[in-house]
Amino acid sequence: MIVAGANGSGKSTMLKIIAGLLPSSEGKVTLPEGDARHTLGYSGLDLNVYPFLTAIEHVRMARDFRGTGENPDELLNRVGLTRAANQRAGEFSTGMRARLKLAIAVQAKPQVLLLDEPSASLDEAGRELVENIVNQQRQRGVCLIATNDPLERRLGSHVLELV
Amino acid sequence: MSSSWSKEILAVLRKEIQSEIRGKSGLLNSLLFSVVTVVTVSLSTFGHAISATFGAGMIWVALLFASAVALPRSFTLEEEQGTGDLLRLIARPHAVFWGKALYNLILILIVALVLGGLFLTLVTIKGDKPVVPWLFAVSLLGAGCALAGAVTLCGALVAQAANRSTLAGTISLPLLLPVLFLGVNGTRAGLGDGVLETGLTATVGLLCYGVASLAIGPYLFAEVWKH
Repeated sequence: MIVAGANGSGKSTMLKIIAGLLPSSEGKVTLPEGDARHTLGYSGLDLNVYPFLTAIEHVRMARDFRGTGENPDELLNRVGLTRAANQRAGEFSTGMRARLKLAIAVQAKPQVLLLDEPSASLDEAGRELVENIVNQQRQRGVCLIATNDPLERRLGSHVLELV
Repeated sequence: MSSSWSKEILAVLRKEIQSEIRGKSGLLNSLLFSVVTVVTVSLSTFGHAISATFGAGMIWVALLFASAVALPRSFTLEEEQGTGDLLRLIARPHAVFWGKALYNLILILIVALVLGGLFLTLVTIKGDKPVVPWLFAVSLLGAGCALAGAVTLCGALVAQAANRSTLAGTISLPLLLPVLFLGVNGTRAGLGDGVLETGLTATVGLLCYGVASLAIGPYLFAEVWKH
């Protein structure tokens, strides 16, 4: 599902509320049963990674926390970060950081995947990666993408327009 | 403790140690502060012995400030660099608290070891009795536990507040006063002043305080962490 709307309409806020990163003033979020660390994945523009940790250390840490998930090397290969696996995230470009955040978001194969403008800083190959991730997510559960990008909007079967 | 918990706690500890080794901020600042304090006292009292009670007070002032410089940063840094949300998405609050507390304990024990060693080497102590090395060492171990517990709790509670510096000062005062009272008594006895039993009781009190704050801390932190 695509969450669209003008700047300031609350697209990112809505995704953060669903992810449990912001409290809601009203209403209730119901997620699939189970530990949210496994059932929910989130990648957003203002989510930061640790500047002193390498890409591989990030995904290993996320797997240690969740106790499950894809093999770190395979995961980094999937998001195109194999060559930068041992590079510190602080030295990454914005696009590489976005790929790393995507890797962490999909690592546990979540039922609900929340992506806030996932292609915003990505190149053509990165856009294809997002498309692949969304296609895989369709078979697994739900994917909510907050965006106004016409190319990203094509990835959704439904559009929720916020006003 | 299940292997899942220990794995998560060790993941936090590993992350903190890697960040510390590569960022070189907290430990280095604390050690520098401790060394400067002991060297300054040593130079200013050169040729004169200082009382064990004054020495114990000085050690505790140095320990307290050294820990205040470094320890709460483990939590506030997460919010300042915007990585708190990443941790919220993948980690359980209890594991985060205990992992950071363990890291803080290691940090403060290193500082206490250097501070205590330098102090005994560079400063001449004049006590009622000779120095009791084992009690001095155990009092510093108790200091590590109690300070790590209190300062981790303080850092965890204030990290997300807008005016965290003011709040940290306000919260840490009641948390640290009992630690200071017990700590000075324990270290004083270790340096040869006062009654040995009182010092031992104070040291056990420090250890209990540390354990209590590490046991209660995660529950308070879990409430603040998610909201």
